[in-house]
Amino acid sequence: MTMIDVLTKIDRRIIYLILFSVVTLPIIFPSARSVRVMPPVEKLYRAIDEIPEEKALIIDFDYDPQTLPEIEPMAFAILRHAFTKRIKVLAISLYVQPLGLAQNALVNVAEEFNTRASTQEDSIIYGRDYVFLGWQPPPLIPILGMGESITNVYKTDYHGNRTDTLPLMKEIKNYGDVGLLVSLSSGDPPKWWVEYAQNRFGLKVGAGITAVSASEFYPYLQTGQFSGLMVGMKGAAEYEEQVETELGIKVRRKASESLPSLTYAHVVIIIFIVIGNTGYFISRSKQRRSQ
Amino acid sequence: MKRNLPLLLVFVFGVLGIIPFIIPHPAVQTTDEFLRNNLLKILAAFALILGLGSLLRVHMDKIRRKGQNWEYSWVLIGTFAITSIIGLFGGVSGTGILPTRIGNFAFDIWTIYFNVEVPLGAAMFALLSFFMASAAYRAFRARSAEATLLLTAAFIVMLGVLPLGNDISPHLPSFAQWIMDVPNVAGQRGILFGVALGMLATALKIILGIERSWLGGGGE
Repeated sequence: MTMIDVLTKIDRRIIYLILFSVVTLPIIFPSARSVRVMPPVEKLYRAIDEIPEEKALIIDFDYDPQTLPEIEPMAFAILRHAFTKRIKVLAISLYVQPLGLAQNALVNVAEEFNTRASTQEDSIIYGRDYVFLGWQPPPLIPILGMGESITNVYKTDYHGNRTDTLPLMKEIKNYGDVGLLVSLSSGDPPKWWVEYAQNRFGLKVGAGITAVSASEFYPYLQTGQFSGLMVGMKGAAEYEEQVETELGIKVRRKASESLPSLTYAHVVIIIFIVIGNTGYFISRSKQRRSQ
Repeated sequence: MKRNLPLLLVFVFGVLGIIPFIIPHPAVQTTDEFLRNNLLKILAAFALILGLGSLLRVHMDKIRRKGQNWEYSWVLIGTFAITSIIGLFGGVSGTGILPTRIGNFAFDIWTIYFNVEVPLGAAMFALLSFFMASAAYRAFRARSAEATLLLTAAFIVMLGVLPLGNDISPHLPSFAQWIMDVPNVAGQRGILFGVALGMLATALKIILGIERSWLGGGGE
């Protein structure tokens, strides 16, 4: 076996094993460290922070189990921010698959606050502080319909309650009462919110997306169509950092804990690419010399 | 008639879909609202039935023809039937007429979702990282100036988006952000314009009946 073979023909099982080790070890021994908050996340944080008291925040849960580790920490961090600042929250899903994940996030974060609460006022109460409107197909119906009347589109909420009987829905009628919509998605929905709801009703839109799809969303941020953007695990970790430093909420930071795995995986991939290229250049120079 | 009626429907509803974005008159907006909140919902329900029927038919055919990996089609049909029965009669969280618990063992939709679909979906996506690492090692070569540029940009972004990038140099995350904000946006915007113009042209061709391949039988 020549040097070139060693460099260019590493068994894929060795690559898998090394990658598996560097990804799993930080998960077994978790540790979170602070991260530098970049402007897109900072902008999103400010946009949520500045929602007027009388307006609501809509969170569109459009992630599925496949992208859960990247996007769920974003949902938790945003909900913690909104509940701390007493921002009214409306939750929806454009697809059926994320319903369970959305309900899970809402219930968990509300419970976090309610275990610390001593009075009814401190508590996060369903119907008063947040409402989960559920799923209404096809996506175009809620995106356009909520501009006219939210209760018309969602006659009942996720739990089957009539929406017009919920105290929060008496205050929030349509996009005119919404300060910002944040689309947490692994696909195209953030663009649809801009194309339909923002263009037609002037709705402010922010987004939380997977790292793999990030490049196609940056034009929307540059034009100001997105009020802010969170990208992948790092974006979620930045938002967690912001929530901890600005609001003093000290809880388990899942995205920040996952960053070491991501760091080591990136480093391993870079090392393997360098090894592969070293082998490639050696073989190319050998070929040239022999010619 | 069989061809003309669908073409006429597409033309009428295509135009009705555009008009509300141009004419803000209440009569137009009310019609649009009615179409969306009523007609579109009914159509979506039909599409769901059609989609499920089509999925089942494809897999039934595959089993009958004993096509490649036909055994997996039984898995699909079996899980489809089981989850449908549990969902329809057992309720989402086990509140329906069908019992969804035997002792401590629950099998309502909520439990199935969190204990089967979530881990399976996550596992499938997690496997991608291994294939990507292996593929990057084998295929990502600095064969030309463009490939070298791509490789350099990839390294900067891969390191810059992590806390490690900030440890190497505080300028690295800013540089990675600049790559995403400027060269990436320039390229993406070009693609977006191209896609938007292409979509506009295709939509117009379909609405005006020039493009008819969706009817079946190619572009005849």
